[in-house]
Amino acid sequence: MTSTATTTPTPGPQRRGKVRRALTSDWAARVSFYIAVLLGWQLLAWQVERMPAPWETFDFILRELAGASHGGVITGEFWEHFLATLQRFSIGLVVGFVIGVVLGIGIGSLPFIKSLLNDVMLVFLALPAVIWAFLTVMWFGLGWEAPVYTVILSTIPFVAVNVTQGVRAVSPDLHRMSDAFKVPRQRRVRHLMLPALTGYLFTGLRFAVIIGWNAVLLAEWFGSVNGVGWRSRFWYDASRYRGFVGWVIIFIGFIFLVDGLVMRPLQRKAFRWRDGRAGADQAETGEAMIDTIVAAGV
Amino acid sequence: MTQAAIDSTVPRSASPWRRTWGLVLGWVGFLALWAFVSRFVLDEFILPGPTKVGAAMWEIVVEGQFIDDFAASISKTFMGFGLGALIAVPVGYSMGTSRYWKAFFHDGVVGAGSIPGITYAVLALVVFGTGFLGPVLAVAFISMPFIALSVAEGVEGVDPNLVSMARAFHRSDTQTSRHVVVPSIAPFVFAGVRLAFAIAWKVEALTEVFGSSNGVGFQIRFAFQAFSITNVLAWTLLFIIFMLLIERGLVVLERRVFRWRTWDLTA
Repeated sequence: MTSTATTTPTPGPQRRGKVRRALTSDWAARVSFYIAVLLGWQLLAWQVERMPAPWETFDFILRELAGASHGGVITGEFWEHFLATLQRFSIGLVVGFVIGVVLGIGIGSLPFIKSLLNDVMLVFLALPAVIWAFLTVMWFGLGWEAPVYTVILSTIPFVAVNVTQGVRAVSPDLHRMSDAFKVPRQRRVRHLMLPALTGYLFTGLRFAVIIGWNAVLLAEWFGSVNGVGWRSRFWYDASRYRGFVGWVIIFIGFIFLVDGLVMRPLQRKAFRWRDGRAGADQAETGEAMIDTIVAAGV
Repeated sequence: MTQAAIDSTVPRSASPWRRTWGLVLGWVGFLALWAFVSRFVLDEFILPGPTKVGAAMWEIVVEGQFIDDFAASISKTFMGFGLGALIAVPVGYSMGTSRYWKAFFHDGVVGAGSIPGITYAVLALVVFGTGFLGPVLAVAFISMPFIALSVAEGVEGVDPNLVSMARAFHRSDTQTSRHVVVPSIAPFVFAGVRLAFAIAWKVEALTEVFGSSNGVGFQIRFAFQAFSITNVLAWTLLFIIFMLLIERGLVVLERRVFRWRTWDLTA
């Protein structure tokens, strides 16, 4: 009895301060954000008949993942669709990135090409991915081609613009100094061009990942016979909204994981030489953060 | 953002004369390539040439029906924008002033950029059906993080020395906010609005593609279902040209309004 009394003392001012600090810590703030989102979702589910509740949706996701029955002959088919989409996405991403880099280096290093393509590029940047999805579906029909080409076509301009900026970010003074000291071309590429370009390459790759993921989903929604986009539409057309929202959670979760755990740290690391340690912390609000959401996958 | 990204990379050394030539040549070359590919490499049906698409665009403009669709799309975009700003300004303000709220909204604001646009479009459809609320709220949602971040950045950038000087000279709170706080936040907000707009109209069109009974997105969807590549391209290009002009106008307006600043956020 006496021992419990000593372990739970009456909350003195010091103790209260500790609890308060824990509740107002950054970590607690972030957790409460997610709780607020879940609560908002639950409220929405109560108000809107078509919107499934969170627990229904998570139950669906587990069944889909485990290949269990959805209450009928239809069983979960997560891996089949996810892997098909992942394959199309990766192929499109690699091809689009390589073409974008080549184009970006061309535009960045040759002023003539730059003035030629400046305006045309603007229109291509503004072209929403859904237009590419429609065009490729009409060109290639239902199959793997439409998603792959949609990813390629919608990522190229964003990669190219970033690489162009990277090429132009190389200080002209350093170029002139290299000229003066007759630095060989190979060393110039290795020590001058590449370090300046790396950060922009990663930014371009990150934008391509975000934009390409949206593009592959759109193309599969309108013209495919399997894949994540198709499966979402399958549940939508069947008016089984918990399946549909379940897949929305899956494809958002995937891009959050890839972006938050891989792409964003890589981008920050690649720009470390420029931003410095203080810069990386400052970037939390600031222009750098706006820069990171500018790509928004549309 | 696209405009700004391009602007900042325009070679300063090139003379305006050469730039104009390059620009004209670029467009002529692009149209010629397009015409060549559509006639000799692919098929006129697979990829209609620029003259055919141009004729379709002209027809859409002359017929006059496009005014209704454009008006519908643009009013939805601006309404969503207004709603988004109404929510985002207090959110951004609290992010700029309090560490707790900054951490609270951090994941939502940063994550919002990587959410695929298709999410907003289809969820709006599920929750609000094919009415006009869906696109409006989708636009509000997509524009909120940009505006909130800009406001937060602006609030953090207010010079505390200026504020304490205003206090020292016994200026009232309204005077302080009118002459110190608002002028230093405004440029950031405007830059945020311009960035958000570039994304917002695309999401608006996408939402209309998925479910709407009017608007440019609806017309694009209609053309897709009628398998008319010409009309898909015509509606898309008309809309892109129009929206790029508005974006351009925002940049010009921004430069004019904030001419007094020593630095330029549009670069």
